[in-house]
Amino acid sequence: MSGTAPERAGLSPRRAVYLIARREFATRIRGKVFIIGTIVAVALLALYAVLQLAVIDRINTTTTFNVAFSGSTTALAQPLEAAAPSLGFKVHVSDVATEAQGRSEVRAGSLDALVVGTPGAPQAVVETGIDPTLQAALVALAKQDVLSNDLSAAGLSPAAVESQVDAVSLHLDTLHPATAAQLQGPIIGFVMAFALYLFIGIYGSVIGQGVVAEKASRVVEILLSTVRPGQLLLGKVVGIGLVGLIQLGIIAVCGLLFTVPTGVLALPGAAIGAVAIGVMWFVLGFILYALMLAATASLVSRVEEVSSATVPVSMLLVVTWLLAYVVAIPAIDAVTGGGAVSPGLETLTTVISLIPPFTPVLMSIRMAAGEVPLWEGLLAIVLVLASIVGMTWLGARIYANSILRFGARIKLTDALRRSR
Amino acid sequence: MADRVLEIDRVSKRYAHVEALHELSFEVRAGELFGFVGPNGAGKTTTMRIVLGVLAADAGEVRWGGEPITFATRRRIGYMPEERGLYPSMGVTEQLVYLAELHGMRARDARAATARWLERLGLGDRGGEQLQKLSQGNQQRVQLAAALLFSPDVLVLDEPFSGLDPVAVDVMSDVLREQADAGISVLFSSHQLELVEELCDRVGIIRGGRMLAAGSVEELRSGSAPRYWVDVPMAAAGWAEKVPGAAVVRMEGSRTLVELQAAAGDQVLLQAALATGPVREFRRDTPTLTELFRTVITEETAA
Ligand SMILES: Nc1ncnc2c1ncn2[C@@H]1O[C@H](COP(=O)(O)OP(=O)(O)OP(=O)(O)O)[C@@H](O)[C@H]1O
Ligand SMILES: [Mg+2]
Repeated sequence: MSGTAPERAGLSPRRAVYLIARREFATRIRGKVFIIGTIVAVALLALYAVLQLAVIDRINTTTTFNVAFSGSTTALAQPLEAAAPSLGFKVHVSDVATEAQGRSEVRAGSLDALVVGTPGAPQAVVETGIDPTLQAALVALAKQDVLSNDLSAAGLSPAAVESQVDAVSLHLDTLHPATAAQLQGPIIGFVMAFALYLFIGIYGSVIGQGVVAEKASRVVEILLSTVRPGQLLLGKVVGIGLVGLIQLGIIAVCGLLFTVPTGVLALPGAAIGAVAIGVMWFVLGFILYALMLAATASLVSRVEEVSSATVPVSMLLVVTWLLAYVVAIPAIDAVTGGGAVSPGLETLTTVISLIPPFTPVLMSIRMAAGEVPLWEGLLAIVLVLASIVGMTWLGARIYANSILRFGARIKLTDALRRSR
Repeated sequence: MADRVLEIDRVSKRYAHVEALHELSFEVRAGELFGFVGPNGAGKTTTMRIVLGVLAADAGEVRWGGEPITFATRRRIGYMPEERGLYPSMGVTEQLVYLAELHGMRARDARAATARWLERLGLGDRGGEQLQKLSQGNQQRVQLAAALLFSPDVLVLDEPFSGLDPVAVDVMSDVLREQADAGISVLFSSHQLELVEELCDRVGIIRGGRMLAAGSVEELRSGSAPRYWVDVPMAAAGWAEKVPGAAVVRMEGSRTLVELQAAAGDQVLLQAALATGPVREFRRDTPTLTELFRTVITEETAA
């Protein structure tokens, strides 16, 4: 009658994890954290881009100076107009009949400056002060006038000398060349480390809440009659983590779309490597922390208690972020070559960035800066992978032992010891 | 068919200070409705959780078809936990399909089965709603659907009747009967003893983690001392005590309920009754399950 069991025996562990992840994904992608979070982030980025454009616009709208020349200084009018664009301003030359009329116009504010005297020794009449660029331009023109007169007096052609002078340049012989991409490396690393920190904080709490919500609604009892606790845990981490990655992806792409045309941030090819490394640490770091957060969250039975239960893990995350500053200094120094890093600090940096809970955030900074030897990078990856395996086992044990014990908060030691 | 038996074999479970189960043994055969009754805290829920692997036993074994139960065979058990629980804000159909898939069904079969069971349980038009929008009783029907969807070989239902209206009780009874008739082993617990008596093929009475009695209601009755209602209006008080091997359980007006040590004593009792004058009633009392339950529980307490 119901002799169908053998044919239908199959639910592979992989499919179990897939089904759980799919449900989490489908639920969270319609959830508040995703929709509102994405909209707010993209709106902020758009606002930022608009502000940037406005700032650039203001820089681009060049100021125009109203200048009048009297007497022989009129010889300076044309050279000033010619030099103005390269100095970032415009000049409007007005004619004044007399010096007295010019002075009254300056007083009235319709003139920015009235130039009197001789081309070689000009005098500027201004009301309260003169714009430094305009002043510099006038000084330069006066000097040139003096120079040309002297050159002519010495029988040289001022034009020929000028072209010779223009040909002189400084040849740079850089001993420690820093490409733009390299300089951007630590910055990109830092931004990514911060994003990782934020992402773990937000989506880690989504996972914690999800774990406890299943406990509170008791649906977990049905789930555990058909899947293993480890599968349930892993499925949640994968499903929710993917939603987070997608959100980050959307934000990153929007960020690029908004900022690249404004020229705020150029993303050279070399920086893409830094981003790829960052994404890898994202994934590993998220899994590691999500497992720890889920396991500690499972100790309580009410959603309101989640944040207090996960305090040890959140603290660890905060400490990681503080350590990021310690690590970032040698990383940036290594690129810029500025200031010798003490060997002690370097060793400390190496050691703490190999401790698995710290690794993802710290390594994403250091590797983006390109100062990590290959062996160290590989060792870091292996250590984090090993700790993920360990945490899956340990987390699943804590989770399994706590998830069906409702009521008061369970001691961690109890959850580790007891079998169901 | 004979090999499709769910056996609970000397299962023990201790919580910190309580011995919840002590070498508990019983079996549920294929096609059988087994009613699991016992006072609060007797160990019914604990037993069911151990069968489902949600809890681990300290000792003993659960077998299905003669083999120790494994994770794969557990997946063939439909379970309705005592603490009902599904996703409150997930759609009814959506979560039933999900649960069926978690029990190894293909998506298309899962959808078909979901539609079929919702229809059968009178929720055909509610599939699109969030679970929390349904009344408590309707949520319970969804919970039943979750246990039945994937055509399980065994059903383990913890108090499936609690909180249901009479119509829903009938629907639930019909479904359970039908499942048992289809060859499925059905184990359910309940405090509604009339219902259990009416519905079940066999009953197990548990207390303090031990099985006090198990068998069909008929078998349980035969295990208890025979009782007779005797209506002798003219008899002097205390007439029945004089009959050897008889004890008066209680009196109701002129009627006396007499318990005999052996059924063979009934003729002696009848003669003694006739000797007092006219006999209006002489009837073997068939105790209800409720009465049997009380007797078994009090006997055990006395012992
Ligand atoms: N998590 C637990 N921790 C400690 N003791 C428990 C736990 N769960 C159950 N018990 C104890 O185990 C015993 C059996 O409980 P169980 O829930 O199996 O009883 P039950 O027969 O289902 O009762 P009810 O009819 O009230 O549902 C009780 O004494 C109970 O107090
Ligand atoms: Mg119970």
